[in-house]
Amino acid sequence: MPNPSNPTGVTVRSYQVGFGDCFLLTFHYPEEDRYVLIDFGTTGTPDGKNKQRLLAIAKDIAKSCHNKLHAVVATHRHRDHISGFDTGGATSPGKIIRDCHPDVVVQPWTEDPKAKTNAVEATQTQVENFQLAFAQMHAFAGQALQEIARLKAFSTQDFGPLGFIGEDNLANAAAVRNLMTMGKKNFYVNAGSPSGLEAVLPGVRIWVLGPPTLKQSDLIRKERSSDPDEFWQLQNKFWTIQGKPPSAASLFPGHEARQLPLEARWFVEKAAQVRGDQLLQLVRVLDNAMNNTSVILLLEVNGKRLLLPGDAQIENWSYSLGKPQTTALLKSVSLYKVGHHGSRNATPKTLWNLFANRSTQASATRLKTMVSTMAGKFGSEKSKTEVPRKTLIAELKAKSDFFSTQELTGSALSPSHEETL
Amino acid sequence: MSPVAVPSRKMLVLAQDPTVKVGGKVVTAEVDVPDEILSPGPRGYRVYVVDFDSSSGLLYQPAKVPVDETRSLARLLDDPAFHAQNVYAIVMRTLSRFEFALGRRISWSFDGHQIHVAPHAFRDANAFYSKRDRGLFFGYFEDAKDRRVFTCLSHDVVAHETTHALVDGLRERYTFPSSPDQAAFHEGFADVVALLSIFSLPGVVEKLMTRKMKRSNDKFVRRSELTRDALQATALFGLGEEVDPRHDALRRSVSIKPSKRLIHTAEFLEPHRRGELLVAAMMNAFLSLWLKRIGHLARNEGATLFRAKVADEGRLAADHLLTMGIRALDYAPATDLLFGDYLSALLTADLEVQPDDSTYHYRETLRGSFAAYGIMPTSSRETTTEPGVWEPPPALKLDYSRTHFDAMRQDRDEVFHFLWQNREALGVDDRAYTRVQSVRPCLRMSSDGFLLHETVAEYIQILNLKAAELSKFGLTQPKDMPGTLPITIYGGGVLIFDEYGQLKYHIRNRILNHTRQDRRLDYLWKSGSLTPGDTERRFAMMHRLRNTDGLRASAETECADAESF
Repeated sequence: MPNPSNPTGVTVRSYQVGFGDCFLLTFHYPEEDRYVLIDFGTTGTPDGKNKQRLLAIAKDIAKSCHNKLHAVVATHRHRDHISGFDTGGATSPGKIIRDCHPDVVVQPWTEDPKAKTNAVEATQTQVENFQLAFAQMHAFAGQALQEIARLKAFSTQDFGPLGFIGEDNLANAAAVRNLMTMGKKNFYVNAGSPSGLEAVLPGVRIWVLGPPTLKQSDLIRKERSSDPDEFWQLQNKFWTIQGKPPSAASLFPGHEARQLPLEARWFVEKAAQVRGDQLLQLVRVLDNAMNNTSVILLLEVNGKRLLLPGDAQIENWSYSLGKPQTTALLKSVSLYKVGHHGSRNATPKTLWNLFANRSTQASATRLKTMVSTMAGKFGSEKSKTEVPRKTLIAELKAKSDFFSTQELTGSALSPSHEETL
Repeated sequence: MSPVAVPSRKMLVLAQDPTVKVGGKVVTAEVDVPDEILSPGPRGYRVYVVDFDSSSGLLYQPAKVPVDETRSLARLLDDPAFHAQNVYAIVMRTLSRFEFALGRRISWSFDGHQIHVAPHAFRDANAFYSKRDRGLFFGYFEDAKDRRVFTCLSHDVVAHETTHALVDGLRERYTFPSSPDQAAFHEGFADVVALLSIFSLPGVVEKLMTRKMKRSNDKFVRRSELTRDALQATALFGLGEEVDPRHDALRRSVSIKPSKRLIHTAEFLEPHRRGELLVAAMMNAFLSLWLKRIGHLARNEGATLFRAKVADEGRLAADHLLTMGIRALDYAPATDLLFGDYLSALLTADLEVQPDDSTYHYRETLRGSFAAYGIMPTSSRETTTEPGVWEPPPALKLDYSRTHFDAMRQDRDEVFHFLWQNREALGVDDRAYTRVQSVRPCLRMSSDGFLLHETVAEYIQILNLKAAELSKFGLTQPKDMPGTLPITIYGGGVLIFDEYGQLKYHIRNRILNHTRQDRRLDYLWKSGSLTPGDTERRFAMMHRLRNTDGLRASAETECADAESF
């Protein structure tokens, strides 16, 4: 006889948001269903109707959960994970979600508005905040986009990927503010901390596997000689310099040349490409840094485990994967939400090889995998950075019951797919 | 007999970054550059300054140099034409310094004679050399106090980047991933050249000897006050009145306390940190040599010395070390350089032109200074004339009869002919693809005033294998490396012929040397850098990382092939 306070199962619904994530989890309790929304954002939908699609999905979520969300998890602050929480405009998806009155909002420790500038982990007691680095990172992404527009006049190079990553890293102040204030309680979590979901999801075992704090992260500790203060200063200082408005104005008024001399043309085009490459490198660093703040959740519902890692990449994963007790937990995962839309760095082979339910044979216990993605937006096959990465998708298809949101075609604005465990 | 002097002229440059002020003044110097007919830019026979700012999309007027140097320094610093002159003159001087030391013209590594220089290339705290773009790029940025900083005005930075371009022209394999030493060498060596170039500028050492000494004044210094610590505490090593923190990274190397252990620690595996060990070894040798030269001025501790003379001894020590340091490149292996190889090259190159080292003991001092940081010469044979120098080839039965030395002085095919003819005697594996990269006749001034003729030829060897095949060749397949993974291994050597066309040295890395190849493959596999990526723009990322240590983690894992799909 099942315990009336424990859920008997869970349904994971994946919405078609193009390049982004949006998962509605329904926990089936004997007496009622409980709802948790994990991420809600996009940076590009198949039909380009981003706003209409997010609005339609928000309405569908509200309808499905009967206007009551028990929790919202925003794994990290990239637009493709939080733009749906934006409250701008008369009717906005963010307002609809807000009106579902989540009891709990879970975010990574790096979002803690009360953490100190030199914070090494989340705190509820300090008054300063270290989000300056985030603000500067967003500012830089904005400057980079302006520079690209200028570079196009001097080079025929394709700056497409730069524009896309740049846009994903733009600030989304309204969404961030909404997340900060929509819930009754906010939890800023790190690897090993309570998730904050325990109170609203009784009977569900929950582990937070990431992100590690600076204290926990060997990688960061190795790089920065265990001096978190210096780490954040460097981050702030670096992105502050990068994030200042570009000097579209002349450095030396009155000294500008009117024409591009014939003999300088070759090099000027090269110089523009070099700058494009530099900006791309920087926005990738920025993008990786943001991805690595992702909350990684492992949930166990009625003996079945779900792994929800946001966009965590290798650096974030390295902390948990280095712990035997965690790797033991991961062996029996039943459903894996593929990290970072199927990019090559977000499903480390060391993680994938742990999953004992991988199999080339169909069975009731075979691993289920779900990816929310859209091909052609990010990276290139030539540089082995295309998202989703073809070699990864081939592996997922061969050894799991695989689903991709790319299969959700048609003209409907809020199509979705469900898996029940 | 002496070389014919080439007409030159003097140009004003900044000797230090404008933030380094001594007595409230920016430190300037006049440098000798070839007296060529410049087009606006300036655009000369080796350097073309294009003042294009890609961040703003603006091109500034091509500068006519020399600029009017009678204006105040403040006005000069506001004039982009002076910025252009500053980079042109420092790049040309660095090039000339290499050409003087090596006794020949030096080519850039790319196909072309003129390197492009963008003094205000972009708005970023970065500066770098890019082979693919045939250029040196210097960024500008606003610092935390909103002051605009131009990297093109930093003598260190310009000389450093130029050195990357020159070393790449001499040893193109050094930009490829190989070992922690090789990755560190480019950075450390560029720093050494930058520092010694500045110290060897006439008058600069005197200006930077800022340390106040109780019993000394503007003209005279007391011998007893010229200690290692006192010299180290001068603005020469960054402690000016107003110093930008960016200088710390370059000059802090000198303050790394000698330790044989550091080179084996994880911290010093990172290229810039490891490079600092090379800088520390060289700059501490410089301090020792300067002190020795001061000791020769007066043995009595109570003696009073002319300040200018003391400074000049420093300039001479720096100048000599700079020449030695550059000349060593000709005696360094063509691939997979280790610090110990460089030390052996340094000692050998100097022995060839300065057999008598009994006055100041430069080589002994260098051996001691490198050893203090755990760097021992690769050549440890006892048969050599001096410890640490390369061993001359044994009396080999080399066949010179089928090649013409006159042709071998400039013709790569003729050198290859010689190599092929003697492949067995020279131990050159003929299963590997072999290519003579360069042949360079040199003319160097020796200590007896005569010109030393040498011909330096460089060849590389390449073998493409599958990982599973490594064991067949006596090499070890790193743990977890898939057998189907394509592997490329490199070898090669440098042939140095004397003035009679006889082989004097054969400095080589045998392609199937299992110790070296196993170490290299293990390092590349573990560090995820088996695929070199874009080596032609590698300095762009390397140099930014230097300014932003904290970002290194996320950038480096881009290469984590072993872990990724």
